[in-house]
Amino acid sequence: MSDIAISVENISKRYLIGDTSKGSVREAITSFFSENASSKKENFLALKDISFEVKKGEAVGIIGKNGAGKSTLLKILSRITEPSTGRIVIDGRVSSLLEVGTGFHPELTGRENIFLNGTILGMSRDEIKSKLDEIIEFSGVKRFIETPVKRYSSGMKVRLAFAVAAHLEPEILIIDEVLAVGDVEFQKKCLGKMADITGQGRTILFVSHNMSAVRRLCSKAIHLDDGQVVYTGDVEEAISNYLDTNDTYIESMGEIAWNVTAAPQSSEVKLIAARIRNNEEKVKTQFDTSEEITIEVDYQVKMPVRNMRIVLKVSTHEGILAFASTDHQTRETHTQEGFYRTTCKIPSYVLNKISYFIEVQFGIPGMKVLIPSVKLFDFEVENIYSSTGSYYPEKWPGIVAIPTEWATLEVTEQTLHPLNK
Amino acid sequence: MPKTIIDANKSVLSLDLKELFHYKDLFYTLSYRDFKVKYAQTFLGFTWAFIQPLMTLVVFALVFSRGLQLGTGNIPYILFAACGLAGWTYFSSVMSQAGNSIINAQGMVQKIYFPRIIIPLSKALVGLIDFAIALLLIFVLMVFYRFSPSPNIVFLPLFLILAILAALGVGIFLSALTIRFRDFQNAVPFLIRFGMFFTPVAYPSSLLTDRIPEWALIIYYLNPIAGIIDGFRWSILGSDPPNVLAYISFGVVVLLFISSLFYFKKVERIIADIV
Repeated sequence: MSDIAISVENISKRYLIGDTSKGSVREAITSFFSENASSKKENFLALKDISFEVKKGEAVGIIGKNGAGKSTLLKILSRITEPSTGRIVIDGRVSSLLEVGTGFHPELTGRENIFLNGTILGMSRDEIKSKLDEIIEFSGVKRFIETPVKRYSSGMKVRLAFAVAAHLEPEILIIDEVLAVGDVEFQKKCLGKMADITGQGRTILFVSHNMSAVRRLCSKAIHLDDGQVVYTGDVEEAISNYLDTNDTYIESMGEIAWNVTAAPQSSEVKLIAARIRNNEEKVKTQFDTSEEITIEVDYQVKMPVRNMRIVLKVSTHEGILAFASTDHQTRETHTQEGFYRTTCKIPSYVLNKISYFIEVQFGIPGMKVLIPSVKLFDFEVENIYSSTGSYYPEKWPGIVAIPTEWATLEVTEQTLHPLNK
Repeated sequence: MPKTIIDANKSVLSLDLKELFHYKDLFYTLSYRDFKVKYAQTFLGFTWAFIQPLMTLVVFALVFSRGLQLGTGNIPYILFAACGLAGWTYFSSVMSQAGNSIINAQGMVQKIYFPRIIIPLSKALVGLIDFAIALLLIFVLMVFYRFSPSPNIVFLPLFLILAILAALGVGIFLSALTIRFRDFQNAVPFLIRFGMFFTPVAYPSSLLTDRIPEWALIIYYLNPIAGIIDGFRWSILGSDPPNVLAYISFGVVVLLFISSLFYFKKVERIIADIV
């Protein structure tokens, strides 16, 4: 028996682009009768002759920028789509998680969905039955287990879905950025469970943009670029290899450092870096409602400008602008050439328990936009420390949750209707 | 230890039944889901499964038996039509559900692997529940008309299996074709409405055997469910045995089912890319 868990040999994946891929009978007929009708289709190679091996018990990260072929590779390895050429041998029971809660049906109860999702993931009913109590316990939605899932909050749904996924016992686990969904607690639980899996000598393939997650979980990494493997080996080497070739920017959990050539810039200003942190200088993307959130933007002013201002916009993931803020009033009229760091502090107890994203924009009001909106970070606000009395298990309606003062007095009727008497 | 081999050049001719068997529990849960969802939050629940065929039978009786004076020998017309309707309803509902099943499961198909054929296959099981209710209705009607079942009833399971194969054969073909050509989504409801008239549901097939030429009758029996419905009636009510040409129907069914599996297997490889 060999110690190779996954062996990938010369895998390519070709897509036809240019057509909508949703054929109609008419199209099929026309292309049948004329050769050139199909010539408008173009070949696109998402993966070009990829080969690598993963040993048993290894945790390997797959990194690369968008469009490098990571998702395609993942889909081929999880057998969702087939390669155009090449061969893969996978030795062991595989589970792939490209999504949690696949197949969940809103009309079915939590318990029924555990069986549905579990069998979709390849578990048998007996296997699920034997783990049912554990799964329900892990999910933390025990009280609602006989309730249709459509009445669940999205957080509850994710927890239930992950509880099922966490109880898979594969020898090889293929994971997409499922970690990107869900609340902080869930992410921690997810990473923790995954670390457990590696601890038990299982093989993991993990695709992520999140370098710190890749570092934490994986010992090796494969760097994909433009459909090809450009580096395989030690995780640190692979990450630095990736960061070097990356011509846009690096985002690693609340910090962006733009590459010299790809930084957003105008003739007047150029962005260098940005980060999001709490008061203790800790860079992160998950905050407690009690924390102040500081956003730092580092930039270079290349020629003196008048009346420049920076605008920060905080929006929810549904695209609703929560608020915008500018440094207009606090800034000198003239900004000389040089390097600057501007910080903006969002007070605590303002944001709701949801995820937001931040954009920054540079401009001269009434004159011109210097740098149009650049998306900086996604971040989440949670209520981790529930020391105060105002702990809400779920998010509050609205896009912000500001502290308000309430009071109730008992009064006489005359106070309320002074004119009636 | 299970070994998975993904090969771009693998043969299309293997159906991998062993793997299918491994996923049998998924087959059951998908069926259970459809069953549960169908009757969830309906006030009358299961009663619907009785109301629908009953109302159709009343209309049939009015039009064909009263209006057109259609003779069905010593078999009460309602009972006669009920057998035809049970077979047709099973066939048409399973066929259309199976036909749309892959399109409706896009979300799943793009996120996880399992033998895709399970999705259309699972539709056959749910349809059986309605079919069982229809059978129950037939036996209630038999008691009502004091009509004793024919000894041929031992052959009923055989025709039921043929009906399942027929519905799945067409349904699996449709599901694979619908992925490529959405046109079939529009064609299916039309096919069902149209097909009922070309199937001996409300009238006996003997009505046609004497009146249309041989070649037309052959075409008639290319309809996969036509001969099966004759068979249902023969086995339950002891009416005329299936026409010789009905055996064409049975042959068509078996061929259709087997070829649908292979066609599906061929399309399965590209489902996630084009769905």
